[in-house]
Amino acid sequence: MGDEKAFSHLFEKHYAHLIRYGNSLSPLKDKVQDCVQEVFTDIWIYRESISESIVVKAYLLSSVRKRIARHQERDRFFGKTTSIDTIEFLLDFSIEHDLIADETTANKVFNLNKLLNELPSRQKEALYLRYHQGLSVDEIASTLDVNYQSANNLLYRAVLNLRKDWKDIILLFLAVTTSLL
Amino acid sequence: MQERNNYIEIEDFLSNESFNLWVKYQIDEQNWEEWTLEDPKRAKLVEEARLWILAMKVSEPTLNQKTIDIALEKTWGKINKKEKNINIFQKSPKKFLDNKWIKSVAAVFILGLISSWFYNNTILNTTSTPIYNELIQDNKEGLVEQTNNSSKPQIITLSDGSSVLLQPNSKLSYPKTFVGNERKVYLSGEGFFEISKNRKKPFFVYANEIVTRVVGTSFRIRAYDNQPDIEVLVHTGEVKIKSNQSVTKSNNQEVVLFPNQALQFSRKNLTFNKINDIKTDRTLIQTTDNIEQLSFDFKDTPVNQILKIIEEAYLVQIDYPKDKLKNCYLTTSLNDQPLPEKLKIICKSLGNNTTYEMNGNQIIITSKGCD
Repeated sequence: MGDEKAFSHLFEKHYAHLIRYGNSLSPLKDKVQDCVQEVFTDIWIYRESISESIVVKAYLLSSVRKRIARHQERDRFFGKTTSIDTIEFLLDFSIEHDLIADETTANKVFNLNKLLNELPSRQKEALYLRYHQGLSVDEIASTLDVNYQSANNLLYRAVLNLRKDWKDIILLFLAVTTSLL
Repeated sequence: MQERNNYIEIEDFLSNESFNLWVKYQIDEQNWEEWTLEDPKRAKLVEEARLWILAMKVSEPTLNQKTIDIALEKTWGKINKKEKNINIFQKSPKKFLDNKWIKSVAAVFILGLISSWFYNNTILNTTSTPIYNELIQDNKEGLVEQTNNSSKPQIITLSDGSSVLLQPNSKLSYPKTFVGNERKVYLSGEGFFEISKNRKKPFFVYANEIVTRVVGTSFRIRAYDNQPDIEVLVHTGEVKIKSNQSVTKSNNQEVVLFPNQALQFSRKNLTFNKINDIKTDRTLIQTTDNIEQLSFDFKDTPVNQILKIIEEAYLVQIDYPKDKLKNCYLTTSLNDQPLPEKLKIICKSLGNNTTYEMNGNQIIITSKGCD
């Protein structure tokens, strides 16, 4: 009984987030629901053998991702996709409009947001897992099925490239506005 | 966490929860504002980090509690199914298929599947086999069968407090008590079901080629062996219907019905026809019964009258002390409640000294009047 309660609690706490993550990896909503529910099914069935030390959130996220990848492999209607690497992270970052008061900030944020959304899908996913799900680099590596160094590169490259591009844009922006004056 | 005075990259800020809280919700637990103003270089970095957070919004997921509840329930269903499969295979885990004996059993099983598929697809549609018999043979729960050979509907109460009004020439098989995480019954013919609510234990009605799944609702199923269609009419709540894959070997579609909706399933083509409003369909509404047409919403209604309506709806005989109850009035809604639940609510509202006893279609209410 206590187990069941804990399970329901775990489910209620994480389900919505996992569905959203799943939806950002596959457009097939029913499939995503199935995958997430299957992940929980396995957690219940193998609850004796799952080590207690695992970080729940990272484990759930990576299980959902792996299961979606497996479904993609299996299902013909995904066309060409055959391996975990071709999973695409489709979620777009949006803008915190409510927190922006002045136009200069709005412009900067708008450009930065555009650059962020233009990043390669895996870099975007790494950023999402790092800054929105709070996963460590280690955990991101295991979720994306790459080694630590690659995961670190994904994150580092994403931020580095972006800051460079962004500075260029801001300089350009400044140049344009000053020349207009 | 790294000491913030050593922060040199915006990544350091982005992954700091307290910093995020400050930017997004102005909750400044660690005096970020003061700390930022201490050093102009630092302020520049902080400002950039702030812009990043503003440009990287991911809104909170929007699933309501009901959706999550339904998903949890579905997951329990999946767990049960999987656990059953595991129990079958657990006895000889790895070398299961190495065993010659198992191989021959498997061969026979597969042969059986092929022939039953052949059978279903060629013979079923012309002669309509009694699927009901096969289904109850597959069930190992020790079922009780009730057949209605009379000319009037018969009431059946189940161990979970649900009630079924079984039409003439119909049969219902059900376990004496429901065990496990599912409630399963088997119907041949027609019945009106009022199911007691239990989210953890979904209720399944197997009727010919379809399976109807609910957690607590009322609905009518019409599934006669000699009829070309199966019909499901929903009175209250939500009902989900699928074709029974072990019988039809096809069509994984699930149809959800809400009150006053109905479904016709063509047994020949295995197709669903959904009717969005029973009330606009004259032939369908005529097939409903007293029980769906009577209202169980009572406002200051004499208890004697309420009991009469129940007698009429469920075709039961209620023996009650008319004199003692003649001054008792009730305001209550008994729609969507199985018969035992209706009786329980009435007795409870009358006070502690009122009880009921039910034996088949005979009900005896003992009471000293209302307090």
